[in-house]
Amino acid sequence: MAKQKTTVENPYLPKPYKILEFYRETSDSFTVKADMEIDHDPGQFVQVGLLGIGECPISICSDSREYIQLNIREVGNVTIALSKLEQGDTVFIRGPYGKGYPMRYLKGNSLLIIGGGCGVAPLKGIIDYAENHRRDYKDLTLLLGYRSPDDILFQRELLEWKNRYNLQVTVDQNTHGKFCYGAKEGFVTDALESMDISNNNQIAFVCGPPVMMKFVIRSLKDKGFNDDQIFLSTERLMYCALGVCCHCMIKGKFTCVDGPVFRYDEIKDLENE
Amino acid sequence: MQVLRLEKKRLLHFLDVVKKGFEIIAPVKSDLVRFSKIYHAEEIYLEKQSYFPVKEYFFRKEETLFQFRGTSITVPAYAAKKRMFFGLRRCDLNAIKNQDIVFIGDMGDPYYKAARENSYLLGYHCNTAPSPYCFCGSLDLVDFFDLMFFDKEDHFLVEVGSERGKSLAEKYREFFTDSQRLITQNEKRIPGVHRLENKDISGFYDHQDWKKGADICLSCGACTTLCPTCYCFEIHDEVKTADPCKGERRREWSSCQLQEFTRVAGDHIFRKEREDRFKHRIYHQLQYFKEKYGVQMCVGCGRCIEGCPTRIDFVRILNEMKNGKTENNG
Repeated sequence: MAKQKTTVENPYLPKPYKILEFYRETSDSFTVKADMEIDHDPGQFVQVGLLGIGECPISICSDSREYIQLNIREVGNVTIALSKLEQGDTVFIRGPYGKGYPMRYLKGNSLLIIGGGCGVAPLKGIIDYAENHRRDYKDLTLLLGYRSPDDILFQRELLEWKNRYNLQVTVDQNTHGKFCYGAKEGFVTDALESMDISNNNQIAFVCGPPVMMKFVIRSLKDKGFNDDQIFLSTERLMYCALGVCCHCMIKGKFTCVDGPVFRYDEIKDLENE
Repeated sequence: MQVLRLEKKRLLHFLDVVKKGFEIIAPVKSDLVRFSKIYHAEEIYLEKQSYFPVKEYFFRKEETLFQFRGTSITVPAYAAKKRMFFGLRRCDLNAIKNQDIVFIGDMGDPYYKAARENSYLLGYHCNTAPSPYCFCGSLDLVDFFDLMFFDKEDHFLVEVGSERGKSLAEKYREFFTDSQRLITQNEKRIPGVHRLENKDISGFYDHQDWKKGADICLSCGACTTLCPTCYCFEIHDEVKTADPCKGERRREWSSCQLQEFTRVAGDHIFRKEREDRFKHRIYHQLQYFKEKYGVQMCVGCGRCIEGCPTRIDFVRILNEMKNGKTENNG
């Protein structure tokens, strides 16, 4: 068969990038830094993969034009294969895709960032962004929940976050008696409820397991947050990331094109889908 | 639009001559009627609607997106063969139009585009409904063809629908005479294809009657496979067993009716219930696509009903919902 050299306009073609750093976060997740120089919004994602294994959508958890950081949990074929990578290896990436957090339009607000488990990863993009544009935003409140102290992500950054922002870490179960980073036992929702926070000039960003998001939204509403003050990041199975393959549809919306970040009023009717 | 006349007895001769310059793809009856490459013009079968849609010629069942060896990627080049499709019904043509919106208009899919670019679309107008399940008259179909053949007993009236059609008609001018008349809107109407009374289904999402279909659905995916507009797919990598460095990334048809369709890592399935999946298909066809692209995706060919092993007639279910609306608090 006649072959032609790869062309840029083919949207399915990934490009090779070097891994600058491989860091193991927890027993089942790691963060890779790749030399992909792109302009992107926090909350956008890329399709990352290996030839012969496949691709998976991973949200960018850094804010830089020189590299991207991806926090990946080992749960499927591709992510387990990616966990075997080392610094200097090649990884195939295409993107960025989707709509991220509209940070430019949220200037002047305080940011309330609520994450659960690996849902903290896309939110780290906001934290880094806010750090790079510190004057544009007021206070940052981080409320991060994990299953156990062993599952706490971004431990390298946590101390710094603790010093700079209002940080609270919760663990569902404190398995071995020690509390690091001032973590408390309990759910994020409990911590949120006991928090003295109002919706005045405050934007909430929520990402985590569906059950957690549901309860967090409920408690945000109790605190007086309006629907358009809450941003969610959703997760779906996807293949193309181009708004065609249909796997990521939430009713009529495509997570890969219309999302993955949605303002709550855009998708509140789609909750059960 | 220009209208030409072709004597019926000259059709086979016309196609045989065309065959020298094009690959002709037309409905052929074997076990079932399907679009196949024809070798002799007599093979063409126009009595019934084809069981399988024509979409596989543009949006292939399996497509190699690229091949790789180690970390180098090559994209297969497509031989630009000129193809002429003959015997496409109004629904088939509109289905091609709707897939064009997705694959060409929206994202510029190079594989689909290459397959579509050298294709000429010759339609065959249905004088009567070719299948008892047809309901194209209930939907907003438009004229979309290069040439359209209207069957008039001893001759065809051939309407020219595009520049391409015009150049084709000029190329084979010797077969055509001027018809001296136009095709009226009345002639374009197909009787007996207005079964769907309920085109706007936005208010029926929580209706209990969806169960009527979902309860007997087997989640086999025949409906989406036979649908001329359904376009979802999966992407997988395949490697050579002997040399795992070599392989290809492939795109394959998928189906939203399968439970696997929305399964994410960690085994969460977003549309776990059969009813949700059944509903999703109908809503995508009649509502979601329209919200995104401005037209309904469904073209009313009825293949999903004919090919369903339990004959779930979603048109009947929707009609019943409409008529029983008040009782069910719809």
